[in-house]
Amino acid sequence: MKLRSRVFGIIAAAALVSTTLTGCSSSNELIIATDLPLQGSSFDSNDSTNKAIELYLKQQGYKAGDFKVKLKIYDNATAAKGGWDDAQCAANAQAHVANKAEVAVMGTYNSGCAKIIVPILNQDPTGPMAMISDANTNPGLTKAWNPGEPEVYYPSGVRNYGRVCTTDDFQGAAAAQFAQSIGVKSVYVLNDTQTYGQGVGQAFTTEANKIGLKVLSSGANGEGWDAKQTSYEALFTKIKALSPDMVYVAGIFDNNGGQLMKDKVKVLGDNTKVKVMAPDGFTGYPEFNKMAEAEGVYLSFAGLSTDLLLANNPTGAGATFVAAYKAEYGVDPVGSYPLYGVAAVQIIMAAIAGSDGTRAGVQKAIFSGAGISISANDSVLGKAVALDPATGDTNAIDITIEQVKGGAETTVTAWTIK
Amino acid sequence: MAKIALKKKAKKSKALKPAASQRTWAIGFIIAAVVLWTFYTFIMFRLPYSVQTVFQNWLPPTKLNEAMVWVICALGLNIVVGYAGLLDLGFVAFWAIGGYSAGWFMSAFFRQVNFHLFSTVKPELPGIHISFWGVIFIGGVICAIFGVIIGAPTLRLKSDYLALVTLGFGEIIPQIFTNGENIAGFNMSNGTKGISPVDNIGVPGKALGPFDFSWKFTIFALLTAMMVFISLRLRTGRLGRAWLAIREDELAASMMGVPLMRTKLAAYSVGAFTGGIGGVAFATHVNGVFADRFNFSISIILLAMVVLGGMGNVWGVMVGALLIAWVNSTGLQALGDLVNTSFGTSINFPSYNFVLFGGVLIFMMLFKREGLIPESRLKAILHEGDDASANLEGHH
Repeated sequence: MKLRSRVFGIIAAAALVSTTLTGCSSSNELIIATDLPLQGSSFDSNDSTNKAIELYLKQQGYKAGDFKVKLKIYDNATAAKGGWDDAQCAANAQAHVANKAEVAVMGTYNSGCAKIIVPILNQDPTGPMAMISDANTNPGLTKAWNPGEPEVYYPSGVRNYGRVCTTDDFQGAAAAQFAQSIGVKSVYVLNDTQTYGQGVGQAFTTEANKIGLKVLSSGANGEGWDAKQTSYEALFTKIKALSPDMVYVAGIFDNNGGQLMKDKVKVLGDNTKVKVMAPDGFTGYPEFNKMAEAEGVYLSFAGLSTDLLLANNPTGAGATFVAAYKAEYGVDPVGSYPLYGVAAVQIIMAAIAGSDGTRAGVQKAIFSGAGISISANDSVLGKAVALDPATGDTNAIDITIEQVKGGAETTVTAWTIK
Repeated sequence: MAKIALKKKAKKSKALKPAASQRTWAIGFIIAAVVLWTFYTFIMFRLPYSVQTVFQNWLPPTKLNEAMVWVICALGLNIVVGYAGLLDLGFVAFWAIGGYSAGWFMSAFFRQVNFHLFSTVKPELPGIHISFWGVIFIGGVICAIFGVIIGAPTLRLKSDYLALVTLGFGEIIPQIFTNGENIAGFNMSNGTKGISPVDNIGVPGKALGPFDFSWKFTIFALLTAMMVFISLRLRTGRLGRAWLAIREDELAASMMGVPLMRTKLAAYSVGAFTGGIGGVAFATHVNGVFADRFNFSISIILLAMVVLGGMGNVWGVMVGALLIAWVNSTGLQALGDLVNTSFGTSINFPSYNFVLFGGVLIFMMLFKREGLIPESRLKAILHEGDDASANLEGHH
């Protein structure tokens, strides 16, 4: 009996505390969240993206239209995995919804993570909550790709996800066309078995078959490499017997890409003999660029590289912003994604300014009517950017071809898809 | 509902001898659950933002739910290791099978069929959509069947060899899922991309969103309470006493007429059933199943939970599981941040996770072998004298 009365006492006390606290309310500041992997080898690039966004918000006086805004940073990586983690992505998604002041999310970096977060934000009863990505290139998130995509990510039937980068159906095709233009006749495709890697591998393989490149790997998206393996010598020995002109590495550097490159050079020789090309999953990693085995590797980027963007428009908003970034932090942004992160935030800020300051209002501003467009003068990408309100895809379809030279990513050319 | 189940249990256990302490624990569990539920449902979002951030950093609601899944799985392992004394190093396999049961039976993954059973999703959506409450049972049964299939040939082995076989099993099953994207043209598991999203849990009147924390907390607490209830009832029953007899002396138990194989298999399948339930619950928690997750370290962490908490004591195991799950998810990180900001250091605390686990396990084995909250019987044996403890070591 004694114990029972104590139980009631505790419950009563808890109830009392809850009623006294009802009076408090939070400030009317709106929060824009970023959701990026901040552990493992993609840290440099994503940390730079967060810094760029913080700087941009500061430049705007932390205001979007009549609303005060601020940034909240989420990390979707765990130390144990050394990169993005599925459970962390799910936990973040739930935290976004739970945090009442949050109106939109900028992210994610990895398409696989977006496929977990988007459906959760989509079912938010006070939303849907909009998410704009700087770097998800997997086509299935916004257009028909694998069976059931993209509808499976939008259980409420309304779109809430957009992106400012180009998709892998374009990136893979551009890479295959570029490979042919530098004299490659036969190619072996590898993928990291993840959503993104298989998607870009598939796009590359399809285009290569179409334009008459000889694809030596079997399967629609090439052969998978196991990120947990300690050596890939056996894999490359097998490939050596087929003597391809190029190996196309569809995947992200985080998935043991360093070891893969080392063993490639060890078995097949340096990257002038058997060329290597990789998609944007290998861009923005200083650790990769500094590897001796990375010298000469071709990379594609699903957008305009920062170099190219500055060369195209040396006095535009993008150039001014990069200069301001350097003045603020003393270094250049890492890779080309930080500017795309800011471009995504520009979309979100414009949506907030044109909304009633609620999640549903922000989502409506982006995904109904004419949608959101940023003029060429304002856009940090140096050109007009508009998101299609029906799909969330950008109208700016740019592909940049780069090459690792002297330990840095250097721009080779902008690629126009044929 | 968690309350009702536990109250029932508390009432029933009155007749039993250690009723008083069991009842205290049960009431403690209810109080903790109610207080946490009240706090996170009504109080937390009313607190000032800075205070909310503290709670988000130290114990966010989603991590609390995740910890409950760990508890469920640890309770399952406790039946195998704690009750029956069979060392299982591959428990992650059941978690994985349970998870994939959720992926198969409550998502749009098998698009070639269109089967709906008490599901809250739109009827035009292809795939197999069975209600969460049904899938929990299905997942549990599939795991129990696998438990028997794996157990039948291997349980004849003595302790160390059994441990090795379970270790292999725990490695093989996740590999099958990782590479199961193309089995003679059939996509069984979608490879490392995993299956997502899975359907929401349906409760009468509504479909829970993935972020309905309070509801999920209630459901997970209810499942935990059910597993505690089952564990405690089995423990005092005929089967439980047979398990304990085997744990303490297999030869003596068989001489007394305990059917070794059948009793061991029962332990294995009940444990696997529980693991399956945990797997289904986890899939709804993260809104998908991903093959990468099911690695060896999960088996070891579960074992550490059981050993740290007190083998054989459900309440001990629960405390051990909650403690380790918390350290693993946010505790160590938050503690590290606190240390780093107060002393200006930049030590990456989470990376020392396994060093900590190893250290704790060694420490426990040296000084407190019976665990934080020991089972009374085990404690009695361990403190009986050197002969008895030496005898017990042979079993673990």
